[in-house]
Amino acid sequence: MRTYVSKSILLLSLSVLVCCLIYPLAVWAIGQTFFPFTANGSIVAGPDGKPVGSILIAQPLTKDEYFWPRPSAASYDASASSSSALAASNYLLRNRVATMIGPIVKYGSGSKAGQLVAPDIEVWFQKDQYHGQPHVVAQWADAHNELAQAWVSADPAHAQYVNEWAQTHQGMVAEWIKQNPATLHPQAADLAVLFFENFSKDNPGRFPSEVLKATPDGKTQTVIESAANGTDIQATFFDMWRQDHPDAPLAAVPGDMVTTSGSGLDPDITLENAEYQLDRVASKWAADLKRDPAQVRSEINQMIKADAYAPMGGLFGEKIVNVLQVNLTLRKRYGVPPA
Amino acid sequence: MWLLPSSIIVFTIVLAIPMSRYMAKIMDGRYRPPRVFQWCERHLDSGQQNWKQYTLALLVFNTLMFVFGYTVLALQPWMPLNPRGLGMLAPSTIFNSVISFMTNTNLQHYSGEVNLSNFSQIFFVIFNQFVSAAVGMCALAAIIRAFRGESTVGNYFVDMWRAVAYIFLPIAVILGVLFLWQGMPMTINHSVDQVMTLEPGAMGATDTGQPKPQTLVVGPVAAEVPIMMLGTNGGGFYGMNEAHPFANPSALSNFLVMFGMMFFPFALVLMYGRMLGRVRHAIVIFSVMLLLFAGTIVWAIHFDTMKPNPGLTAHPEARAFKIAVPTAPGGTQTITLPAVAGLPVDQHLGNLEGKELRFGTSAGATFAAATVDVTCGAVNCEHDSLNPIAALSPMAGMWLNCIYGGKGVGMINLLLFLIIGVFLAGQMVGRTPEYLGKKIGAREMKLAMIALLVHPIMILGPSGLFAATNWGMKAENNPAAHGLSEIVYQFSSASANNGSAFDGLGVSYGFNNNPNPAPEAVPWDLATGLVMLFSRYLPIIAPIAMAAFLGMKKSTPFGLGTLRDDTFTFGCLLFGTIVIVGALLFLPVAALGPLAEHLGPIPFGG
Repeated sequence: MRTYVSKSILLLSLSVLVCCLIYPLAVWAIGQTFFPFTANGSIVAGPDGKPVGSILIAQPLTKDEYFWPRPSAASYDASASSSSALAASNYLLRNRVATMIGPIVKYGSGSKAGQLVAPDIEVWFQKDQYHGQPHVVAQWADAHNELAQAWVSADPAHAQYVNEWAQTHQGMVAEWIKQNPATLHPQAADLAVLFFENFSKDNPGRFPSEVLKATPDGKTQTVIESAANGTDIQATFFDMWRQDHPDAPLAAVPGDMVTTSGSGLDPDITLENAEYQLDRVASKWAADLKRDPAQVRSEINQMIKADAYAPMGGLFGEKIVNVLQVNLTLRKRYGVPPA
Repeated sequence: MWLLPSSIIVFTIVLAIPMSRYMAKIMDGRYRPPRVFQWCERHLDSGQQNWKQYTLALLVFNTLMFVFGYTVLALQPWMPLNPRGLGMLAPSTIFNSVISFMTNTNLQHYSGEVNLSNFSQIFFVIFNQFVSAAVGMCALAAIIRAFRGESTVGNYFVDMWRAVAYIFLPIAVILGVLFLWQGMPMTINHSVDQVMTLEPGAMGATDTGQPKPQTLVVGPVAAEVPIMMLGTNGGGFYGMNEAHPFANPSALSNFLVMFGMMFFPFALVLMYGRMLGRVRHAIVIFSVMLLLFAGTIVWAIHFDTMKPNPGLTAHPEARAFKIAVPTAPGGTQTITLPAVAGLPVDQHLGNLEGKELRFGTSAGATFAAATVDVTCGAVNCEHDSLNPIAALSPMAGMWLNCIYGGKGVGMINLLLFLIIGVFLAGQMVGRTPEYLGKKIGAREMKLAMIALLVHPIMILGPSGLFAATNWGMKAENNPAAHGLSEIVYQFSSASANNGSAFDGLGVSYGFNNNPNPAPEAVPWDLATGLVMLFSRYLPIIAPIAMAAFLGMKKSTPFGLGTLRDDTFTFGCLLFGTIVIVGALLFLPVAALGPLAEHLGPIPFGG
């Protein structure tokens, strides 16, 4: 037995020496000598020579002048990769995709081909009828309690709005507590469904939305107001609009544009996705540079075609575009987009 | 679409054939290493061991691994190579992680880049990935020697050293260089901090109102990934494992990573044949495994890559079901599922939720199936977001646990099915069953059944317990049937020593001082830790004993009535035994989880 312990200790020591010292040091030396670029994270520099990120890691972009990466379940935090882990059957997945699509989706054919669907969603919403029943917002909150609660928890301003409502509707809150004796002191999120039901009846065709307001000292401030249009409504109620208009001919958006990747840091988008974004990017640059939109569009189109590559030279898949790469090309060609 | 899996399989088989010859040579002691390694062998050799001594040596060394691993993780805050000042993991998580890496499972209840310093990555993760993989290989070598009728089964310490130093190490260095070339980082730094993104401010603002830089965690990735794959460990440097662009930068690296995890499991089956001098028999076993392997891949690709995500598509038919009312006996009520209109999403590339684009179209599904078949457990896509019925493929791979399987243990599991198959066949023709000319008696059958039944008991028992209590219900992240799938998957992964997971399940405690751990993290840490422990060592010890008892028996000469083990018929027998015995155990839970989700209302809840 004692032999086994001493031999075990020797085996452990030798393994540590070989596996934890010699082996990593060897790979490290090879990496730092022959592959210094990749061994240190594939960091690329912008036109000004300063590092702007790793060519392998997606980074967030919001300006219309840039191509945007896929949505990220990790908020593009490269120190905490994450996937959505949403099952196909989970309504939260469908809801996330629908809220992304609502404000941008267009008609694909028919008399309105090429036009945004968003205005029609607002018109439908203001009529306040879903599946022939009144009160869209109340129906939404009833069907999706989790989403109603998530709306309240999403922002302290939302919770405050609900709390203020609760102050003026104490009778309703007391009734709710009677029915839910387990929750004697309900938080704002607990009251979410009740709030939306009541809000929907008091404000048919409206939804509490974030509105930018000027304050007396000249700054802008986001406040919650009941609104009849806006991106909140286009996003939140697109799926319900769709259920009322199942046959409306909509143009499909590229799948990778609305799905999160496994790591949340996927640096690529499909070529179709880039082409889908091309109109937005090109028209914005044309406006910035005061140039002919058609010409700018064809220049950028050539850029994404030139940057596109397929996995293993096309053996294993369709063409994709590295987002940082193509945005750097844009920067080099057209300069810094105006703030 | 099909080129990716088929080219990887062919490439691996071609290289596994010469590798098996080399491995047989090493494990038979016919390889003469350089002098310094000979010195090591001489000092490690404690003499020839019988099966009991060999098993004891294995257990003693594994106990020492546990102590060493626990120490390294517990001392993380005080160790070097920790520039970000990471603290200590919760004790229950350390317990879980140490067992997880010691047993070659690599189930991770923590997130690599968030919770581990580079010191821990090297001295805990890389160390265990080399050594735990060798443990299974040694167990298989001992079984082979016992089958050969040798009274001693080798020396455990020498075997371990040979596997680590002569087999894993050289291949790991070669793969490491290839991975560096493809883009993996390899540095002692832990993060690249001062990188302002192309659009400053898009990451948000810091507390002082400055635009936030993007922090990129780097480290010895190119050293860890080769052995993590070669040892079928699967515990990644990053939380999202091989989906992370630093851990898997390109389609070629993905190809090589897949090759890495399949290489030794493929070669070990052939090594088994070579060492026993029964190559034809090994080829029959290999073919049965290959058939099952291809089956799981085809299933996953068919239902995940070639079908859209059903959560986004239209379900144009309204459906109505009559169900019994639990409160009123005999009464029924009708449940109606309304028709659902599809969202305008182009899904011709299949289900892209949780997939990366750079590996190729069918890479996620292929990887998901292969990683469980060879019990690697690395993932390059989110298994939680696989299409419901496609997720049956990785689950079935873990349930069978012998489609090539992990280092050595997969082959051992297959031997159990084989012994049972031979036994059944013997019963059918009314002849004493025999394998390799040795008669299989009651004692051998008992040991085989113990080893085989550990697996379903360790999966179904705890799954039932957790599904019925808050331990499971509070950890689920997806509603209804999929929540059950998450629980079952976690225990399947633990028991199969696989290590992949449905990541939605809330099992992470994080650092010891984390104020908001997942509510049921501790029970999950402890339960899966124990499952990994039992499901690792019982199916190693019992088969070694079985092989020793079998090997001691007198060989009966080959006669007309002998069941030939190198024929097509034998392959069918083996295939049938695996499918019937292995799969039927899990059919009910498959119906309640992935099948119910597939057939049930989609979308659901929310």
